[in-house]
Amino acid sequence: MRSLLSSLCLFLWVGCASYPAKNGFEPRTESSQELQNPYFSNPEKDYVYKAKIDAFNKSFGGIFIVKKLGPEHHRIAFTTEIGNTIFDFTFKENDFVVNRILKELDKKVLINILKRDFKALIQEQSQVKNQFNVNSHTVLQSDILSKKHYFYYKKGQLNRIARVDRNQKKVEFFFSNIDDQFAKEIEIAHYNFKLHITLKSFK
Amino acid sequence: MHKILFLILFISVSAVAQKQMTPDEATALKTKVKTRAEAITTVMSDFTQYKHLDFLSDDIVSQGQLAFKAPNLVKWQYTKPFAYSVLFKNETLYINDDGNKSNMDVGSNKIFKQLNQLITASIRGDMFDDNEFNIKYFKINDSSLVYFLPKDEQFAKFIKAFHLSFNANGDVTEVKMIEPSDDYTQIKFTDRVVNKTLSDAVFTQ
Repeated sequence: MRSLLSSLCLFLWVGCASYPAKNGFEPRTESSQELQNPYFSNPEKDYVYKAKIDAFNKSFGGIFIVKKLGPEHHRIAFTTEIGNTIFDFTFKENDFVVNRILKELDKKVLINILKRDFKALIQEQSQVKNQFNVNSHTVLQSDILSKKHYFYYKKGQLNRIARVDRNQKKVEFFFSNIDDQFAKEIEIAHYNFKLHITLKSFK
Repeated sequence: MHKILFLILFISVSAVAQKQMTPDEATALKTKVKTRAEAITTVMSDFTQYKHLDFLSDDIVSQGQLAFKAPNLVKWQYTKPFAYSVLFKNETLYINDDGNKSNMDVGSNKIFKQLNQLITASIRGDMFDDNEFNIKYFKINDSSLVYFLPKDEQFAKFIKAFHLSFNANGDVTEVKMIEPSDDYTQIKFTDRVVNKTLSDAVFTQ
């Protein structure tokens, strides 16, 4: 009975514990580090990826395109392989504009999911709210569109972003095959519904 | 000043280069292309695709092979820079995305159905349907350029215009699909082989 109670307490504690506590984060005491995401920061470059999207048991592909047009100004488009535009968004400072979206996908809920994901993907700088160390990572916490985001850096290189809501991990962004300031492979994994996006650069 | 003169010269040369056809010339082109299209049973061609988005520095270039068998089997196989194929067969779209196979029933989707018909027609060049399109005819030296502007409002929201280029023989050399935003996909055909026997195995996923 006692052990049952202890395990229940432990379960409740872990269940309700904050994301940093659950993941064994230690507060960071070293000098503060700036939050930087360099992966879509070069206005000279066309960022072009082959995308694979698994959504609600359906799988489809396309071309995912990001272009930085100015400070805090990005254009993000998704087309079929044959070239028809599925959606085309503009992010400029705090504004978000849907330039084009296929009628069948023009749903507020879906657009909001994409807006949150892409905003987190392209935001280059953000105010650091908290700092932690875990294993060999430095973790910086910031808010993007009012949600907590944890940026994981290893030897100064960003390799993961986790979006956390009510202490639960909701979405993770993984950056790999990194060449200088260019992430050739990106994965966006949603944990509260079936949506998984894999991006592989081909340009 | 030189630049302005050059620009004026360039514009006038362009204007001379692309001339609207007379009704007789347009009829002659239509007849030539239709006769040729009716004689086509298969097409094999290499293609290079340029996806133009105004905000990008460079077009996105991909390459592959096209296979067509009358009346309506079409396969686009991209080989560079990624492996991807799409096969239109029996109102179904069969996709092979680098080994991941999937299909989509497009019989119930009006836009896809139209797109499929147009792709088939554009390979043969036979798109001259006045009920479906407003058609404009131009000549450039000994080749022709035809604009097809969809009349269907829903379709026009998807693709504003198709521009087809024909060589002197009446073969399609280029297809340009222009979106309402003026971004476009341009497909250039090279090494086109007509009426060579193609086995059904070519048209598998």
